[in-house]
Formats: sequence, structure tokens, C-alpha cells
Amino acid sequence: MTHIVYGVWDGVVHDSRQSADAAQATLPELTDFDEFDAGNPIRAFFGDRGFLVFDETVSLVDALFHYMEKAAEQSCGACTPCRMGTVLVRDALDKMRRGLESPLGFDDIEMLGEQMRQTSLCGLGQTCAVALLDALRNFRNKMEAETADHMPIRAQIGMAYMTAPCIEACPSKVNVPRYIDYIRDGKPENSLGVLLQKYPMAATCGRVCVRYCEQACRRKFVDEAVGIKTLKRYVADQQKGPNALKFTRDMIRKPLDPAMRVAVIGAGPAGISCAYHLLLHGYHVDVFEKSNEAGGMAQIGIPSYRLPKDTLALETDIIVDLGGRFLFGQQLGRDVTIDGLFAQGYKAVFLGLGCQAGTSLGVAGEAEARGGYYSGIDFLLSVHDHVDGIAPLALAGEVVVVGGGNVAMDCVRSAVRLGAEKVHVVYRRTLEDMPADHEEVVAANEEDIAFHTLTNPTRILTQAGRITGVELVRMEQTEPDESGRRKVRPVPGSDFTLPCDTFISAIGQQVEDGALVEDDGVTLDKWRCVATDQTLATSRPGVFAGGDCVTGPSTLIYAMAAGLKAARSIDDWIQRGTVRFFKRSRMRKLIADNRILANDVVEMPVRNAYRVHNPELDPELRKKMFGEVEQTISEQDAYAEAQRCMRCYRIYSVVTKHPIPEGAA
Amino acid sequence: MCTDHSDVQTRDPAEATISLTINSHACAAFPNETILSCARRHGLYIPTLCELEDIDHAPGTCRVCVVEIVQSGRAAAQIVTACNTPVREGMQVATRTKRVRNMQKLQVELLMADHLQDCATCVRHGDCELQDLAQFVGLTENRFFDRARTLAREVDDSSPALIRDMQRCVRCQRCVAVCRYHQKVDALVMSGTGVNRYVDLRDGYDQKNSTCVTCGQCVLVCPTGALGERDETERALDYICDPDLTTVVQFAPAVRVAFGEEFGMPAGTNVEGQIIAACRKIGVDVVLDTNFAADVVIMEEGTELLGRLKRGQRPTFTSCCPAWINFAEIHYPDILPLLSSTKSPQQVLSTMAKTYLPEKMGIAPEKVRVISIMPCTAKKDEAVRPQLVHDGLPETDVVLTTREFARLLRREGIDLKDLEPSTFDNPLMSEYSGAGAIFGTTGGVMEAAVRTIYAVVNGHELEQIDLTQLRGFEGARSATVDLGGQIGEVKVAMVHGLGDTRAIVEAVRAGEADFDFIEVMACPGGCVDGGGSLRSKRAYLPLAMARRKTIYDVDRTARVRQSHNNEQVKTLYRDFLEAPNSRKAHDLLHTHYTDRRREMEHTVKEIWDDITMSTMVY
Repeated sequence: MTHIVYGVWDGVVHDSRQSADAAQATLPELTDFDEFDAGNPIRAFFGDRGFLVFDETVSLVDALFHYMEKAAEQSCGACTPCRMGTVLVRDALDKMRRGLESPLGFDDIEMLGEQMRQTSLCGLGQTCAVALLDALRNFRNKMEAETADHMPIRAQIGMAYMTAPCIEACPSKVNVPRYIDYIRDGKPENSLGVLLQKYPMAATCGRVCVRYCEQACRRKFVDEAVGIKTLKRYVADQQKGPNALKFTRDMIRKPLDPAMRVAVIGAGPAGISCAYHLLLHGYHVDVFEKSNEAGGMAQIGIPSYRLPKDTLALETDIIVDLGGRFLFGQQLGRDVTIDGLFAQGYKAVFLGLGCQAGTSLGVAGEAEARGGYYSGIDFLLSVHDHVDGIAPLALAGEVVVVGGGNVAMDCVRSAVRLGAEKVHVVYRRTLEDMPADHEEVVAANEEDIAFHTLTNPTRILTQAGRITGVELVRMEQTEPDESGRRKVRPVPGSDFTLPCDTFISAIGQQVEDGALVEDDGVTLDKWRCVATDQTLATSRPGVFAGGDCVTGPSTLIYAMAAGLKAARSIDDWIQRGTVRFFKRSRMRKLIADNRILANDVVEMPVRNAYRVHNPELDPELRKKMFGEVEQTISEQDAYAEAQRCMRCYRIYSVVTKHPIPEGAA
Repeated sequence: MCTDHSDVQTRDPAEATISLTINSHACAAFPNETILSCARRHGLYIPTLCELEDIDHAPGTCRVCVVEIVQSGRAAAQIVTACNTPVREGMQVATRTKRVRNMQKLQVELLMADHLQDCATCVRHGDCELQDLAQFVGLTENRFFDRARTLAREVDDSSPALIRDMQRCVRCQRCVAVCRYHQKVDALVMSGTGVNRYVDLRDGYDQKNSTCVTCGQCVLVCPTGALGERDETERALDYICDPDLTTVVQFAPAVRVAFGEEFGMPAGTNVEGQIIAACRKIGVDVVLDTNFAADVVIMEEGTELLGRLKRGQRPTFTSCCPAWINFAEIHYPDILPLLSSTKSPQQVLSTMAKTYLPEKMGIAPEKVRVISIMPCTAKKDEAVRPQLVHDGLPETDVVLTTREFARLLRREGIDLKDLEPSTFDNPLMSEYSGAGAIFGTTGGVMEAAVRTIYAVVNGHELEQIDLTQLRGFEGARSATVDLGGQIGEVKVAMVHGLGDTRAIVEAVRAGEADFDFIEVMACPGGCVDGGGSLRSKRAYLPLAMARRKTIYDVDRTARVRQSHNNEQVKTLYRDFLEAPNSRKAHDLLHTHYTDRRREMEHTVKEIWDDITMSTMVY
């Protein structure tokens, strides 16, 4: 519950100044507006849905100037009203707040605000005048009073932040509309540059990302979400051609002293991302990797028909281009220890260990099964060695995969390519409940995988350790509980047996035992993941961790986001001994906690233009090979798809009592 | 930009199943049709600026075409842009309410805020879509214009052909669209944000060093004076008015059929006679015809082609279009060996005007100045090619586009309508055959070449002179022609527009194209709609067919219809050049090409320095 002095929110005017009725200025659905950072009260908040004033002495003219200044700075300039309106309004408010004569009065500003709101092309122009108009129409006398004496208004402190639903949904906070804009503008290299601000593995992400951004995309209210991942892949794949961008040491603005060394353990997405950002911060980074190749789960856990190995290698090589070193065959706990690393002079250590141990099912017969039994991750590792020509792998007969996630889908689709006669996937819940990407499920279906949903294994049958079959039981859904969630339970007497030559348990992974010992001073949590605080610091000073080893099995984009965050924390920790307040994170929390970026429907009619799709190889052909199934879209398709983005930008600003602490960039 | 290419004009009216009202008129619309398209079909006017239907361009950026709508089942009126908002069943559209009119007017006023309004010195003076628009919306005020801000915008005058004046750009992006989606050169990009947004050349080069091929299609679609040719009327006048110089004018096959409109004559009127009269009136000493040179080109190129066919070299590309030459040199330098080495008609005529003509007329070659009137911006670029300038003296001294020639005549107070048509009187280089005349349209060079090569191979003329199988208008066409004799059937292709050109070049490089001879014209339609021809407001190439028809009429009624039967051409070879592809002909009438590929190699740092974004980490 938030009490305000006055304001307008969602078109409703609140004012407690003259009224004794406090409820009139209470917004029960809003919380967390008391202070921005510790001891720093929020005096006012401005956004696309209105504005809230918590301190009567706040100057609206000055606050709206700062808000409009952000809008003018961020206006793309494509459409007339926003391009010129933001500048004209900004300049007029600036004159007013300085006590100077403004060429435009409040009536003119209102006219321009209305023009921007009603006629702008994208979300930025359509929403950046909402608070302005709310103020001018309901609290004009306040604004007139502020400027009546033509004296400069005392400058206020705060920050302004621009975002969009897709940006907020992305763990890495990639500026999605910006990189789509650059495609529209005809500059795919700039588009890639936007991505490279956040992570080096753009082509990888453009192939395997689970696309939180597309779930948040408002275009779905018109027809379908924008093909954000498809476009990302398009720009990233330019790197394969003659126009590849060069990674050079001069990207590193301030190279640090040679003693400024950081050790990164694990060359997976989290480690690569962390190393990349540390290198760009000027550090000297050594990446310790137990295997002989970089990429981690992206390397061994994602089959080459989804992510070709050369594509991944091109991106992990960026670390080397920037002066980083890979030290292969170096396993934590076996070849290196945290104590040893500090003793060698590393200033900090990042743990990006991943979750590479498969989880067993815990069913009867599992312990006896020696021939033909794999965990999902072990199986994918064998597939990887097969594709690499290290250890050929051929399957025959029937393959049963248990699980419903992307790893399970990777296992079944790989099994079919390895010559299995029949491949089954067994999942205890419904098809709709499968956590795997929908596209993966569809692709598996096209490749003739047998789906057994609402089914669970109960026993693995073996003969002399060799798997011969698996006993299964049908499951049924229970009635929804109070939370609306339906559980599953076995159907008595529904047992049946499938013949089985290869059994793959793909129900999850965990951190490998032995990688970490408590003696290292790094505490694990109850799920045996590395325990960290908000800054990704572990219990041991100077040791940070991120990715699957902290969160449990998760996605590429979360791991890469953790790498960036940890790099910021490590930089702060080394340079200052403490991790600073990160003001954009605070703003995001405010927006997220209050669901301010509402999933509002698109009110205007918009012409339907359905998304383009990556060309795919024919299922009958691709079943037999590990070459990449999806192809890159054409330039013309990329232009067409980029046109579909509606740029749902929104600007939020706060006025605070004290300066907001500056954190990492 | 709209990429939906369905043409509502040709759709079955029965498919117009959506009923709505526009200003209370009941209208029937096609599903997913825009309000603007529906309004136009029903004869209702909505002011627009950035939109251009002919190139399927509705980026929705100018926001001038705002209308008020009430959607079915809703009470509140909404403001939307008509150009890209689809119709909906039961929608009520109002285009003339006070609110709408005020918003349209304010939008234009905001457009004017950083548009340089020195209209009197603008190339589009009196022919400007923005001026028209200001009148349509009743603009009476100009409160926001900031001269200093406007003058800070870029003017790129690096190119010999095109001037890009961002001080007059309204960011409609029509130029970007025609370059990207139609010509597929994709040389233009959008740069900058906010008020600093502008049309830029790829990789930040200036026009001269960019991947632009100066075809000038962008100029044809520009609504204002932001894009134009480098104006050389002043230099032309300097030469014409200098009594010590002999000024020679040549004008291209297409100019005579694409010029009368400027003076209010019907589209496609043949004003050859009036142009000759006008040239004499302004003091030009010798008026020659580029058509004559086209006939010479056929003699040279035809002979060259025949040699290549006999040697089994295939395919051969034509070389008369300078934008195509630029395209090949910049975008596909590996195919340059396939291009004919014959100079273009402009350069052939200029060369002869500075060698053959002075010799026969007894004038000093160094006193000759050749002014060339072309429907083409790339010809300006061609004239300054290092290969075509000798010891600092260019073969062609000045190239005027059709537009500049119109400007020149206006400066001289000449209205073409008032002139009595005249005729050529130069005995050396003004006769032309029908074959030379059809150079101005797609397929014309091919047809002209076939007529002559057939005669050379077989020793007699082709019976069916009109090769209608070559006269289609599709972007890329192919045909098989029997040249008889030892040559037999040859496969020919004709492309116009660089989009289709790119496709055929890619096919040739991939070994998938089976052709002997390929005619390329960079401009859609060929020279009759060249990038240097008259501009049409709110339309792209609307007069192509009328102009093309007149070209074929010229051929049909020509006394001589084959290049090799042109008496003056015969004389040229007899008295001067000896024979087609003779050593002398080679020295004077052939050229070579250079690899001008633009290598673009950027570092991530350079790209990061170019990016504008709210949250740059590095």
C-alpha cells in the first residue's frame, strides 16, 4: 500500500492535500515506494501510467523536464511528433525551470503532448507525454505557481530509465527493440554490437535461447510475437561471412596492471560471459576448464543439429581475441584448488561449474543396469564425442528416454539420428506440461518419436546387467488443488512393459560431487548448489559464482546474465572491496514488484503480418544427420520481420531526496 | 515499410467484405486493407507525405495522414494513421473533423521545424510535395522552425552525380525503400536518433565512396529537394555563352519522349524537333544525336559479341548503362571480364565529337565542348571516369539530366510548346536508325544488336524486324534467337532494375544461367524512366508505358531500321574508323573496367562507438 500526496495513476486523480480523506490518495496495489536506496526516500515517480508525488515540495516542472529529457535523448527520430515534440517540450520546460522566458506556454506544451500521445508511431512517443498531460490537466495551477516568479527552480535529483517488456523479461536485459531497430535501419553490425554489450555468444543464443523476451512481446496481441531469436541469429550469423566484426584489444578501454588477474572456473556460458566482461574491464583472465573444449553445456549438452560446433567455437574464441587464456584439462578439486588459485596471485575467482552430473530416477533395477543405461547428460556427451569422431556411437533397437525438458528432447532427437529403430519419450505429466520448448517438441514429433505422456517408469528390467525392458505405469491428473495446480498419481493396475535396449534418464542434473569441498570455504545450499548472495558472492571472500551451479539446471541466457553480473561484482570487489548499489537493478525491481509494465493489450488496429520462420531441412533427411536443421533467414525476411516490432518502450523516473549512489556501468 | 505486395486495385470487388464508413460514406474494404487504400478507392482524399503506393511504401513515419476512428463496440474515438491502420468491420472513420485537421496541420508544422525552407533556391521549387502538403493542411504558422538546428544537418556533395541534402530531408525513407527493396543495392541506411536522424550511406562513407551506383531512383521518389542531381546548368551556360568555344549538344534516345510533360504536353510526346530548336535558340553550335552513337555501339558491340560467340565465351553483358557498370565494379567485380568493352553511346559520341567531327569540320578539337543531355544521373559519374578523361580533358564535358535541361530552358525563357520543331542538320553524326532509337527502353539494345548481327552472319536482313519476343516488360526476360549461319541459336536475357540484375548476376556466377548475351539496364523500365528523368509527384514511373510506346513508334516509322544501314555510320567507318573493332575503333571506342569493391571491415569498437543506446556498458 502506498500513500501519496497527489498524483494521477491510470487516469485516476489522487490528491490528499486539501482532503482529510487519506484513502483518496492511497494506492493499495502499489508497494516499495518508500526509499530508493537505503535512507534515500523516493519523492516522486513518473511513468507511462501517470505520476505519484510523495513529497509536496517536489517541482513538477523540473521533474517533467528530466523525464522529457530522457525521452528526447531516446527518441529514435523516425516519426515526426516524437522526434520534434520531445525536443520542443524539453526545451520549453528547461527554460521554465531556469526561470527564463519560454517560447512555448503550458497550452502549447499540452498541445504538443497530446500530439505525441495520439499520433506517435511507437510506444515511446505514445507514452512519454502521459505524465506530462496528467500534470498539465490536473495540477496546472501547481506548475504555474512553480514558474510564476520566474526564478530558477532548485534542481532535483533522481534517475530516469527506459525499458520495454521484452527487455525486462530478458535475464541479460538486452535492449531488444534497439537491436531490431538497427536491422530496420540497415545496420545489422550495429545490431550485433548491441548484443555484444551483454554477452559474446550471440549466435549461440540466437539458436538455443528459450526466449523470455518473446513471451513478453506485445505483438502477440496483434498476431504473433516478433521473431526476436530469429533476428538475433540473423545478425549473429553475419559473423560467418566476409563482413565479420573484428574483436580487438582496443575494445578494452582501460587495460589494468598485469597483477590484476582473475580465475574463471568452467568455460561454460556463465564462465565465458564472466571472462568476457572481466577482460573488457581490463583484467587478465584465465579460464580453467576440465574438458578440452570451451562452451560447457552449450558444447556438450546441445546437439550439433541445433548448434553447430564451429558456430560455438567462433564465439568462445572471442575470449582469446581479447587476451584471455583457456587452460584445458584443469578440473577444480583435482588439478586446481581455490586456495591454490589465490596463492598464485589471482585477485578473485569465479565459479561457473555448471550442473553436469545426471540425476538418477531412483527406480528398481536402476542400480543393476550397467549396459545401455545413460543419464541424459552422459548420453549427450557420448553423442558429442560421436559427432567429433572421437568415439563412434551406434544405437539399435528401442530407446526409452525419461523426462520432458529440452535435454530429454535433445536425447530423443539424437537417438533417432544414431540409428535407433524406435525412440520413446516417457513423461509423467501431460504434453502441455512439458518444460521443453514447444518447437523442440514439434520437431521431435515430426521425427517420429513416440510420446508416452502421463506415464512413469517403475522398474528397469535387466539380464546380466544388460537392459532388456522397462516397466511403466499410466498416470492420471488429480483435481486441481487450492493453488489450481494438478498433480499426477499412478493409475492402479495400469502397468505395462516396453522393450528397451537403451534407457536414458533425462530428468535433471546437479553439481558434480567432488568439485567443491567444504574446506574451500564455499558453502553449498540444501540442493547442493553453490550458495551466493544477491551480488553472486559466495561465502568465501573473493569467490563469486553463477550459472547452473548456483541456480540448478537453467538456461543459457540466465547463465550469461550471471556471468555479466558476477563480472561487475568482481570488479567492484577488487577495486573497492565491496559491491556497489546497482541503480538500474533497483528500478527494475520497482517496476517488477508493482507490475508497472502491464501486459496491456494493443488497442489500435494493426495490420497482420505473421512472423517469418527459419527455413528447415526436411524431417526425413535431417533424421539421418547431425547437420544443422534450422537455417538462417534471408536479408529480405530479416527486414520484414524487423518491421513487426512495435517498440513498446516506456520511460520511468524517480525524484529522490539524496543523490542515488553510482554503481557499475 | 509495408512488404505486403497484394495490389488492391486488381482484386475482385467481391472480396471487399468489410463494411465501414468514412466520413459517413459507406465503404467496402478488403480484409487487412489500410484505411488510406480504402479511402482512395472510394475517391476520398487524405493528405500523405511519406507513403508512396507505387513502391509499396507506408512506413508510417510522417504521421500526417491521421484520421479519427471509432471501432465497433467502442465509444471512444482514437487517432490513427490511415496509411498503415487496417480497416475493421463496423469502423467509423472521420478524416475532416476539427481535431483531425488540427493534428494534420500541427504535424506538418513539426516537419517544417527542421526543414530548410529556402524554397527559392531549392531544386524542387514549385514541384515539391512538402509545399503541396502545407497547402493541403492549410498551414498558416511556422512557430517551431530553428534555422541553426537545420543548418547543422549534413549536405553531402562529394559525388559527381548526386547531392544528398539532409537539411531538406523529411525522413520519409522512400529513398531507402527504393534502394533496398526495389533496386536491392541497399546502399542507404538510417543513422542517428531523435532530431539527428538522417539518411546515411552504408558504413558511413560519403556518396562518392559508398556502395551507391548513382542510378538515381532515390531522386525519383524523394518528395522534396533533399535528393537531387549535381546541378551543372551554370557550367553548361558558361560553355554555350563562350564565343571561343564550339559547343556540341547530344541528347539520349529516351530524352525526346520523356521531356514534353515538363511543358504540359501529353506523356510520351516526341519532342525531338523542339529540343533541336531549343538548343539552337540558346546558342548551341552543333546539335548531334546520341541515337547515332547507339548505332555505332551496335556495330562495335555486335562485332565484339560475334567474336566472343565464335570463341565460345559466354555470356557477354552489355555496357551502355553506367549505373550497371558501377554496380558490376562495386558489387560484383569478378564478372567484369564478361562485360562488353564498348563504350556507352554518350562516350562514343563525345569521342567522335572531339576527333572525327573536328577533323571533318575543320575546327580545333581543344575548342570543342560536349554537353550531353541524359535521362540519367549515373552518366555524370561516367563522364568523370578516369578511363574516359585523357590528359585532364574529359570526353564528355558536361552531363545535364533531363531535369536540368528543363531548368536551363526556363532560365532562357523558353517554353517548348511555343517552339517550331526543327530537324538535325549535321551531316556527320545525327542520322539514326530505328535500332538506335530503341536503346532507350528495356530490350532495345538486344533487339538492335540482333538485327545487325543477323545481317552480318547471314549476309541478308532479318525478315521479321520487330522482335516482339524481346519486348516484354517483366523485370527479367529471356528468349532464344536464331542468328542463323554458323552461330545458330543464341540464348539472350534482358533485365531492367538492379533487383533483377542482381539475381541474374548471382545465377551467372553460380553457373546456373545459360545465356550468350545479357542486356542490363539499371533503371526499372530502362532509360525512358531513368534516374535523371523528370520527377513525378507522389508517383513512381507512372508514364513508362506511354514513353515506351513512342520509342517503338519512332523505330516503326524510321526510314532505316538497322544500325549497319545508317548512312552516316557507314561513312564514319569508311572515312575514319576503317572497320568495326579495328585498331582505331578499339583505341577510341572501347574502354576497360576496374575492381572497385568496397571492403568493409569494422571492429567491434568502431561499432560500439557508433551505437546510441540508453544503457551502453562499454
